[in-house]
Amino acid sequence: MHPHLDGCAECRARFAAFEGWLLGVGETLRGEADEAFPAERLAMQQAQIARRLEALERPARVIAFPKAARAVISGNSHVRRWVTVAAAASLIAGFGLGQVMPLRTVMKNQQAVVPNAHFNAPTTAAIAKDLTATTTPDADELLSDAFASPKVKNLSALDDMTPHARDYHARSK
Amino acid sequence: MSGTSPALVAAREADAAAASAVKAYQAAGGLEDARERYAELVARHQRRAARIAYHYLRDSAEADEAVQDAFVKAYQHLSSFREELPFDVWFTRILINGCLDRIKARTRRERWLVPMAGTGRSSSAASESAPAERDMTERVAAGGQSPEQALLGRERRQQIATALAKLPERQRSVFVLSHVEGRTSREVSALTGLNESTVRVHLFRAIRKLRALLAHDPVAATPGELKGKRRVTS
Repeated sequence: MHPHLDGCAECRARFAAFEGWLLGVGETLRGEADEAFPAERLAMQQAQIARRLEALERPARVIAFPKAARAVISGNSHVRRWVTVAAAASLIAGFGLGQVMPLRTVMKNQQAVVPNAHFNAPTTAAIAKDLTATTTPDADELLSDAFASPKVKNLSALDDMTPHARDYHARSK
Repeated sequence: MSGTSPALVAAREADAAAASAVKAYQAAGGLEDARERYAELVARHQRRAARIAYHYLRDSAEADEAVQDAFVKAYQHLSSFREELPFDVWFTRILINGCLDRIKARTRRERWLVPMAGTGRSSSAASESAPAERDMTERVAAGGQSPEQALLGRERRQQIATALAKLPERQRSVFVLSHVEGRTSREVSALTGLNESTVRVHLFRAIRKLRALLAHDPVAATPGELKGKRRVTS
């Protein structure tokens, strides 16, 4: 005990009260635990420990499972196994080929190409003839169609205000 | 709590003799004799072990299992026990480690489980159903208390248990070992693996916190309080 407590009555009383409280708390906690573990429970626990120690010395029992409980792998015969492997291999090969050669698009392209095969390629002379025929003659006709005045009445005022290409064309002639 | 009493010395000598005998029987293959002799050690330390485990785990069923596991483990590893260390210290350390493992496992479990309403267990499930569920008449008859006294006593126990459950783990361990099991700081240091001065600091903080938590406790709230700043010398 601290030497100060011998000379100071007040502190001694406080310390005694504190010590009493602390002892009380310890006692209460011990009581609580003892209540959770009465003598019968401790006896049962002891018996359980003895059983477990005894069990440690005995080797573990191995239970043999019946044959029927084993997983049966289908196809003991070699033929069945080979068939399975071949089917799997062909499936994989087919899938791989499908990835490499997109058959659908090839088929579509073929369908599109077939009608063109009947088309006769024009000769260069014919193309030249066609070109001269289209370019030279009726530029005026085409322009007259293009430069025709609009048929909508509401727009005629606007059309009058707008300079026309046909006028320029006529002037240049 | 001061020093080691002659009774404790005698008990430790008896423990050492029993442990040596069990070791010898185990080595010689006399397993039945070894078990019989070990039963003495179990009987001597069982109650204390149950208290410690109960205060760690706050669940009587789990504490029961922890105690059993610790005794079985100690028996299996008795060959590694050194006689210069008291058996109870060695055994208590096994027990505490087992309890801490269980607490860890429980925390992991509870992280994934959503407690059902009304059945959820908090860390202060404290009140621990077993004593509360027991028939009141049986307890009154056993303790010779009036129903009122029994009720007050139970309330106080519950308050203290709840306050204790609120302490951090280390403080709780140190407090339980010191003031419930009556161990010295040195022994607590050997049991917990903490430094002796650290044990004292934890003990001081535990007491201060307990006093604050139990401030409304008529016994705790004495007029001349120690203000919670003085070191308790044991």
